[in-house]
Amino acid sequence: MSLVKTPKSTFAQKLKRFFMIDLIKGMGLTLKFNLGALTDKDAVAGKGIYTEQYPKVRPDVAPRFHGAPRLNMDPETHDTLCIACNLCAIACPEDCIDVIPMDVEIVVAGKPRRKKVLDEFIFDTSRCMFCALCQEACPTSCLELTQDFELATYSRAGFVWNREMLEQGRETVKYTS
Amino acid sequence: MLLFAPIDVLNDLLLRTGLSSDTIKFFVWPLIQIGLVVTLVALWVAYATYLERKISAFMQARLGPMRVGPWGLLQPIADGLKLLTKEDFIPDKADRWIFFFAPYIAVASAFIVFSVIPFGPDWAVIADVNIGLLLVLAVSSIGVLALILAGWSSNSKYALLGGLRSSAQMVSYEVAMGLSLIGALMFARTLSLSGIVAAQGADSIWYIVYQPAGFLLFLISGIAENNRAPFDLPEAESELVAGFHTEYSGMRWSLFFMAEYAAMVVVAAVATTVYLGGWYFPFVNRLQLSGHHNLYVLVSLLVFLVKASIILYVYFWLRWTLPRFRYDQLMDIGWKWLIPSALINIVLSGFAIFVVQALNGWRGIETIERLDRGLNLSATGKGIMIAIGLIGLFITAALLSRINWRSRDFNLKVQRRNIRLVNVPKGKPAVQAGS
Repeated sequence: MSLVKTPKSTFAQKLKRFFMIDLIKGMGLTLKFNLGALTDKDAVAGKGIYTEQYPKVRPDVAPRFHGAPRLNMDPETHDTLCIACNLCAIACPEDCIDVIPMDVEIVVAGKPRRKKVLDEFIFDTSRCMFCALCQEACPTSCLELTQDFELATYSRAGFVWNREMLEQGRETVKYTS
Repeated sequence: MLLFAPIDVLNDLLLRTGLSSDTIKFFVWPLIQIGLVVTLVALWVAYATYLERKISAFMQARLGPMRVGPWGLLQPIADGLKLLTKEDFIPDKADRWIFFFAPYIAVASAFIVFSVIPFGPDWAVIADVNIGLLLVLAVSSIGVLALILAGWSSNSKYALLGGLRSSAQMVSYEVAMGLSLIGALMFARTLSLSGIVAAQGADSIWYIVYQPAGFLLFLISGIAENNRAPFDLPEAESELVAGFHTEYSGMRWSLFFMAEYAAMVVVAAVATTVYLGGWYFPFVNRLQLSGHHNLYVLVSLLVFLVKASIILYVYFWLRWTLPRFRYDQLMDIGWKWLIPSALINIVLSGFAIFVVQALNGWRGIETIERLDRGLNLSATGKGIMIAIGLIGLFITAALLSRINWRSRDFNLKVQRRNIRLVNVPKGKPAVQAGS
C-alpha cells in the first residue's frame, strides 16, 4: 500500500501531460499578446497596448481634476480680471495665497481718486492642496485651477508661482516623439 | 563582388608589409576575425537585452523602451553608459581580488566559446577545431566557477546561497546537456561544429527531425544551465534578492549580465549548429553555384543569426509563460527526468542507426546512400529514422513514467492534502489535540 493516496490520472490526462497541452496553451496566450502588441499600428493605447505613452501622448484627466493655478485675463483688453479683493487668500485653508495690491491714481468724474489694483500675486503650490476653494471664492472668475498636472520643479523656490507665471503659465517641455 | 573588394585590398596591403603569407593567414586574419566576432557578439548581447525588454513588454501589453532613439533602439547604449558611470562598489570584508576577477571569468568563459562556433562557411568561422563541441561544453561550464567565486567572495549570505544554488543547478544540468548532444553526434560522426553542420548539409536534413527528444532535452537543460526562467532559482528575488550578483554594481554587474546573455547566445548557437542545420538553408547555396561566394557566406551568416535568434525568442517566450520552479522540482527534473531520458535517447539513436544499417541491402531496401563523413541516408532511411525519433518520444515518456512512478509520493502538496487521510477515520484530525 502506498504511503499516500494519490489521485489516479486518466488516460486523457496522461495524454494531455505528454503533449504538454497546458504549456502550449500558456505559450499561445503569451504569443497572442506579443503579436497583438506588434500589430498595434499607432503604437498608442488601444488594441494590443494597454499602457499610456505619457510624455508623447498626454492623458485625459478627470473633468473635475484640479491642477496648476492660473490667473485669467480679459480676452479683449488682456488686463487682469483680478480686483485684488483678497477673497481667495481669505478662503484658502492652507494660507498659500498672497495678494499684494497697490494704489493707483485715477480720475473719476473729474476728481482724483485712488484705486486698489493688483500688483503681485504669490501662489505657493507646494502648500496648495488643490481644494479649489479660492476658485469658488473669486468673484470675477479670475483665479482658476486648470487641468495641467506637471508641477514638478528642481527647487523648493520653484513651487512659488508669481503673477507672471500664473498669467502666462509655466513652460514645460512638450515631447512629440 | 564590389561589396567585398576591401577584403582583397586588405590582404594585398598585409602582404606588402613584409609578413609572410602564412603569418597573415594564420595570425593576422584570425585576429581580425576575433575582433569582429567579439564586437558583433557584444552588440548582439546588448541587443538581446533590448529584445528581452521589448518582448517582455509586448507579452505584458506594454511597449517597453521607446524614448531613446527610434523605438528605443539606442537603449542598450544608454544603459551601458549609465552602468559605466556608476560606482563600482566593493563590500566591506569582501575578498577583493576574487570579487574583482569573478566577472571576467564569467564573460571570458562565455565569449571564448564563440571562437569555435561556425557562424557561416569559409571565413565566417574563426577556428574549426575537431573537438569543437567538447570545447564548447568544457569552456562554458567554467562559467560555474565564476558564479561560485562571486557568491563566495561577496561576503553576503544571499550571494553565497545564490552561488551555491546556481552551481548545484549548473553542475546537474551540465550532465543532461552533454548527454543530450550525443544522439546528434552519432549521426554526424564528428565533434567539430563545422563538421556537424556539413554532415547535416550532406544529408540535407536538420537533426531536429531525427532527434526531437534530443533537441528538447538540450533546450531545457540549456535554459537551466543559463539560470534563466523558469529555472532562475539563483536569482529568485523573493528568496535571494539577486543571487550571486547581489553585491555587484556598475560595470562589474553588467559584465555578469553580459555573461548571462552571451551564455544564452552560446546555447542558442550550439542548438542551431547541432539541431537546426547551422547556416544551411534551402536554396541559399545557389548563390555559391552562381559564383557569388562572399554573398553566399554573408547570407549563410544571416541565416545562422536568424535561427539562433528564434531560439533566443523561445527563451524569452518561456520566461514570460512559465512561473519559477521550486528547488526540489528543479533537481527532480534534472536528475530524475532529463538525465534518464537523455540516456534513453542515446540508446534509441543507437538502435535507429543499427536498424538503418541492418536494413540496408536487405530485400533490396536501400537506406544508406553513402557513409563518409556523416550518415547519408536515402529517403527510406530518413523515414525510418524520423519514425523511430517520433516513436522514441513516446517510449521515453513511458519508460520515464515507469522509472519515476513513485515520484508523486514525494509531492509535498499532495502529501499535505492527503497524508492525514491514511488510516485515520474521516472527520478526525490526524493528531489529537492534547496528546
